[in-house]
Amino acid sequence: MSAAREKRLPTPFLPGVAYLLAGLLVTFSVLAPGFASVPNLLNVGVQSSILLLLALPMTLIIMSEGLDLSMGAMLGLAGVTLATLLVDGTSLVFAAGAALAVGLLFGMANGWLIVSLGIPPFVATLGTLGIAQGLALVATDGQSVVGIGEQLPDLYASRWIGLPFSILVALVAYGVFHLLLYHTRFGTYVFAIGGHREALDLAGVRANLYHVAIYGVGGVMAGFAALVFTGRMNAGHPTAALGMEFDAIAAVIVGGTSFSRGDGWLPGTVLGVLAVGVLKNGLNVIAISSSLQVASIGLLVIAALLIDSLRGRR
Amino acid sequence: MKASNLGYRLGGVLIISVILALLSDAFLSASNLLNVLRQASLIFLLASGVTLVILAAGLDLSIGANVALSACLAATVIKLTGSIALGIVTGLSCGVVIGLVNGVLVTALRLPPFIATYGMLWVLHGITYWYMAGDTIYDFPPTFRALGSGYALGVPVPVYLMLGCLVAGGLFTRYTTYGHQIYAIGANTEVARLSGIPVRSRLNLVYTLSGAMAGLASVVYLARLNSAEADIGEPLMLPAIAAVLIGGTSLFGGIGSLSGTLVGALFLTLVLNGMNLLTIGANWQPLVTGVIVVAAAWVDIVARRRGEG
Amino acid sequence: MMRSIRTRLWAAGLICVSGTACSRGGGGQAADQVALFTKNQTNPYFQSIRLGAESAASQMKAGIVHYVPTKPDSIPEQMSQIEDAIIKQPKAIVFIPVDFKAMVPGVQKLNAASIPVVNLTDRSAGGQFVSFVGCDDERLGLSAGRYLLKHLNGKGNVIIIEGVGGSANSAARVRGFNQAISEFPGVKLVASQPGNFQRLQALQVTENLLQAHAQIDGVLAANDAMALGAIEALDGANRKAAVIGINGTKEAVDAIKAGKLLATVDCNGFEQGCIGVMTAIRHLRKLPVPTEFAFPQPVIDRSNYGDLDMPDAQRSCPMWEELVKG
Repeated sequence: MSAAREKRLPTPFLPGVAYLLAGLLVTFSVLAPGFASVPNLLNVGVQSSILLLLALPMTLIIMSEGLDLSMGAMLGLAGVTLATLLVDGTSLVFAAGAALAVGLLFGMANGWLIVSLGIPPFVATLGTLGIAQGLALVATDGQSVVGIGEQLPDLYASRWIGLPFSILVALVAYGVFHLLLYHTRFGTYVFAIGGHREALDLAGVRANLYHVAIYGVGGVMAGFAALVFTGRMNAGHPTAALGMEFDAIAAVIVGGTSFSRGDGWLPGTVLGVLAVGVLKNGLNVIAISSSLQVASIGLLVIAALLIDSLRGRR
Repeated sequence: MKASNLGYRLGGVLIISVILALLSDAFLSASNLLNVLRQASLIFLLASGVTLVILAAGLDLSIGANVALSACLAATVIKLTGSIALGIVTGLSCGVVIGLVNGVLVTALRLPPFIATYGMLWVLHGITYWYMAGDTIYDFPPTFRALGSGYALGVPVPVYLMLGCLVAGGLFTRYTTYGHQIYAIGANTEVARLSGIPVRSRLNLVYTLSGAMAGLASVVYLARLNSAEADIGEPLMLPAIAAVLIGGTSLFGGIGSLSGTLVGALFLTLVLNGMNLLTIGANWQPLVTGVIVVAAAWVDIVARRRGEG
Repeated sequence: MMRSIRTRLWAAGLICVSGTACSRGGGGQAADQVALFTKNQTNPYFQSIRLGAESAASQMKAGIVHYVPTKPDSIPEQMSQIEDAIIKQPKAIVFIPVDFKAMVPGVQKLNAASIPVVNLTDRSAGGQFVSFVGCDDERLGLSAGRYLLKHLNGKGNVIIIEGVGGSANSAARVRGFNQAISEFPGVKLVASQPGNFQRLQALQVTENLLQAHAQIDGVLAANDAMALGAIEALDGANRKAAVIGINGTKEAVDAIKAGKLLATVDCNGFEQGCIGVMTAIRHLRKLPVPTEFAFPQPVIDRSNYGDLDMPDAQRSCPMWEELVKG
């Protein structure tokens, strides 16, 4: 979107947000008793996990010079599907499968609109945002879907090797994405679609297929996020996750991925998600006034980018 | 953008209009069409500034938050001083200052525009929430309100503002060096820089203009709503940007026009107007809007390919 | 050069953080710390509740901490704030759920942490509470509807301006409106459209509906801001209709005074804030509290707006005995 930068980022670099994250951790530990406790740090992890599930595929989408504004709405629709099926007494596996399928369907539709029809990503996903949100509202008449039984809440409340379920899902998702991006052909193509599309075409790679798949992955991850979200809220809600895509985009960019030339750094996305999570949690724990909390999210984002810019790395 | 492309887009608006006219008797009345124009003018004022930014391959996500803060400050000044002129100046200057800050963040500090202006959005929301503390400022003098709700020669006042901005902006982008340079920067920043265009100062200019238009829009909204509250700008950002993009301006810069944005604003307004006239249920409205936005974008692309082929 | 700019930035950041930490108020010193959860920072109604709560807390020498989602009415954010509040261990919590069904697991977490909770404004679908203090949205809609339709002598065309799709408050109020309409066979509902609790959306929707329907006699709006937006639309079109809102905001009272708004139904946010916090503190001090405090939901019109005709910031909570008896 912005003009192509002259220099590519050197591979081992730390975006400004890493320093801010460290600064926030130290500051809150000093100022707020209870912040640096294990239960609270687990809180931060749990609260950040859903956003991370969206931010991981968003990293790939942004690297491919795209954008997905429909993720929050897809999460809502997948969550409503999941909850409705569970209320009807379906098994968790089937309901979760259906939620993932809904996500995949919408994600592929996004990819098809953008890649095959050539509709700009912003407009295409704004449209599918409306469609997914509308379907979720129509299906539920705008109400939360409750009474989803015990299967999903039990799974959500379970702990694995001492970690809450949602953190585990986020860790596994990160591992999978890391492998996918850095150790598979798919990953290589993702880098190339953003930077050297023509080269891919010349090499005879079916770039369109991979390009659509990137959005498909986004949809599937919205489905996984819906699984965690619904378990956490014990309910499906048609509009609760709207707007989360902007948080995800911000986390990705702050983490060092840029809209141009296929520059992407997956660990940076984790740092971006954690920085926002730590900031919100810390400000709550030291009980800072709400309007200041709102402003500080913006300041964090700007400050993180400013550090990068002043170091001449962007 | 070629005139023929604009023709295709206007075609989309005409198709919707014909469908609405067939479905609803009320649609084609003069008063409803003026009503649509007035509603479209509010979106257009905001969208026209963003058009310039996007033409230069930038983006401004802070416009809605800008409107909220500018409107609240303008409202305060009118209440305190009783002076309409001072209030308008306040709204405009607040918008300009925010635009300037955006410009500095993007040019001097070289932050990516999407995130710089997204951060700005949160900062402005925070300031507005803190400043208003849940209050509403309301009830302004009738002369001021005429700016938003009045008529001149049977046509709503904001429509004149819209036409004025359209003409001025059209002349600016099409016939001045500045305008050409903005297109050139959007098409290829590096080439523009090498060919001696002062890229930074032109980018500063477009962000400032975007802020100024948000300031102007804030005054018109304030006059139309007869009140200011902290959440006034929240629902404005996405429709304004959507109007620009539906109007055929490319998010990658260099392609597009203000007249396209006008068509985009008309299009979105018609969709809402149509859904209200046909009383489509609340839950269905996002779905219908989504389908129409995708369909319009697709028709546009197909038409353009035909035009080229 | 670069380095010095960076150092200055860091310094500014630290001052900012420590400065704000200092400004968090004297809450930390008070013996009884109560946390109040409201839905957003933009709706004047919740500001009234917060002011009432603060007045009650200072009257009873207790401290108060606010939790408000940075995104208005955000369900996941309120959930996170509950978890963060549990770390802080406030003595008691006064809780307005952003969604009465979806926040139940959050309430259960508070229950599990053994923090007493007073449920304010919207009745939660589950969890254990010391007491419920609030209004019944469906009854608010019903009394507003009945008042307006009686005013129209039981006949004419009316429109409903709904709130946000997905909001339980809106759904319940609209149900109340519809029930009232069904009681008056002479009244015809010509349209029910979403105004998203927003003035601008309500204004534009009303403008559009005025085009579609030559005769509109009454407007039922699910909150005051939308009612006032509808009035702007009517004014702009030079049409007349009776408009009623809900919430009893100061702005609505002024519009009633000016003869523009027919009436609003009041749920007295300020006193809700008072009673909610008083109930929580009394519970902590082992004083008796009712398990249920249902507010009278008076229709405020030209005859009785006097009580509300004062900015909330200048009001202070009545004494407990006065409130609970009355």
